Amino acid sequence: MNQMTKNLIYTLGVIVLLAIPLIASDFLTTMIIRIMYYSLLAIGFAFLAGQLGLISLAIPAFMAVSGYTIGILETRGLLSFPFSVLAAMLMVLVIGAVFGIFVNRSQGIYFLMLTLILGQIVWAIVLQWASFTKGSSGIIGIEKPDIMKWRLGETEVGFYYILLVCFILIVLAVLALTRSSFGLKLKGIRESETRMKMLGYPVARLKWTAFMISAFISGTAGVFFVYYTGVMHPSSINLDSAAMVLIASIFGGVQSIIGAILGMSIIKTFEISLSGLTQRYLIIIGTMFLLVIIYAPKGLMGLIYKNKYMQSLYQHWYRGGKKDE
Amino acid sequence: MLLTLINGMTLAALLFIIAVGFNLSFSLLRVANLAHGAFYLFGGYIGLSMLNHLGSWWLALVIGGLCTAFLAFITEFFLLRKVRGDNLRETLVTLSVAIIVADLMIVVWGGNPKSIPYPEVLNGFVQLFNVTIPKYSVFILATSILIGLLIWLLLNKTKMGMVIRAGVDHFEMVSVLGTNIQRVFTGMFVLAGFLAGLAGVIGGSYLMMSPGEDWRILTYALLIIILGGMGSFGGSVVAAFIIGLIYSFGSVHVPEFQLFLMFTPVALVLIFRPKGLFGRGLA
Repeated sequence: MNQMTKNLIYTLGVIVLLAIPLIASDFLTTMIIRIMYYSLLAIGFAFLAGQLGLISLAIPAFMAVSGYTIGILETRGLLSFPFSVLAAMLMVLVIGAVFGIFVNRSQGIYFLMLTLILGQIVWAIVLQWASFTKGSSGIIGIEKPDIMKWRLGETEVGFYYILLVCFILIVLAVLALTRSSFGLKLKGIRESETRMKMLGYPVARLKWTAFMISAFISGTAGVFFVYYTGVMHPSSINLDSAAMVLIASIFGGVQSIIGAILGMSIIKTFEISLSGLTQRYLIIIGTMFLLVIIYAPKGLMGLIYKNKYMQSLYQHWYRGGKKDE
Repeated sequence: MLLTLINGMTLAALLFIIAVGFNLSFSLLRVANLAHGAFYLFGGYIGLSMLNHLGSWWLALVIGGLCTAFLAFITEFFLLRKVRGDNLRETLVTLSVAIIVADLMIVVWGGNPKSIPYPEVLNGFVQLFNVTIPKYSVFILATSILIGLLIWLLLNKTKMGMVIRAGVDHFEMVSVLGTNIQRVFTGMFVLAGFLAGLAGVIGGSYLMMSPGEDWRILTYALLIIILGGMGSFGGSVVAAFIIGLIYSFGSVHVPEFQLFLMFTPVALVLIFRPKGLFGRGLA
């Protein structure tokens, strides 16, 4: 493919994405918005899982931190839109830094168990500290800021466009990070932590930074989640949702963030279409996940990348065209 | 004050039964069995149905344990063996089993909180040194001491226990020396499942059973084995008591931060002694 066709495809893609709220039905737009902010969680997960090989169950905890910070600040009239988001992201970074210190020394299953516990801590605080977080009744009535209510003709498109821009920026940034020397160092840690230590890299600091980046991405998802739904409830950040992020990302394939996005799209589409039929769609999703874990550990993208052309694209995106390891 | 102490001890005893199986299977198989909480709840629900059909609490206790042991056997034999060798994938398999079982339980037993009624014998109170203690608490404490004793004997006084302890340290070597380590793995996993089911029936009478309870119990079990140290029997005992007492005193004095308080000792241990209070650290 030459440069010309490539540019044409990219432009077409962007135009389609921009036009979605104008031409597609409300249902489809809502679905795409949901897929996008949940995909941000999946990206946060896949960044750690793909680069460092660490499976984190604390991803929704950061969504909770940013969502609850915004909810509490705005419903009590302490801070309003641009500043509340800044405060929320700052809070995410602080909590991410503290959690990062806890989990820094662990690897493999130990990391998974620790993040499970950390996620449960956040959930417990949110559920039990009722005088501050409203507990199990949740915070309701968080309004979208005016800029997100911006209209184009009849339809409200502000939220969609802001989310889209953030989403694309984060995807590009994560792709750039995985190609950068930072990303390569993380991959080195994944392969052998002791060797990287011996080579003189500050392993602890690199892992900590990666954890913070993942926390930041998940925090962004929280901002969009809370503005879109207007509700912050403990049940949206419990262990089930952590498991959902994990399942979706691994289902799609964590060695590429495209896989994580694909996985989240499939799982969310499944969830929305199956939840009309039955409340117990988790059985089906769980079984699918079980099959993927046993028979295709690299996820759907792992299957797709077996194709030669797709493999070359993967090399191009993740290694900047360099084929050798 | 005294009642809180007894409640804490009772919960600690219950948590000990759950955590000790988890800890042993974890240290031997190196699989963090995330389905352990689901096993606990499964045992409880089976016990409830059995009680309704057969009318005997004691029979329900045994059958609940056995059914859960069978579920654990299926998980180990048909699923975990397929991915043996990759700890992370094994753990993820248990996670998906947990999700599937949890959802199936909602289908079968519904989403409303349920509780198993106490048997007649265990209703009421006993007087012990001028203190009134619910009979049920005494029963749970006695059971957990009995189970703890049996497991201790199994680990330290039998040939089987020798194999298990050796396997915790170096299962490849044990396998080379002519033991069928896969069978030991299955046995340990099934034993852990049996204990979880047993604890499920006992806990289903003492606490409530509802969806979500499985994750809660799993979290407590994880807290205990991280606090006490992976693979340490004594560590599980001590950690279960710490967690149980914090739980009951926290719920009386600082209900808003009760769960948070339970996590604090774990966080402190992680910072100052990452292997746990009594753990030797596993490779």
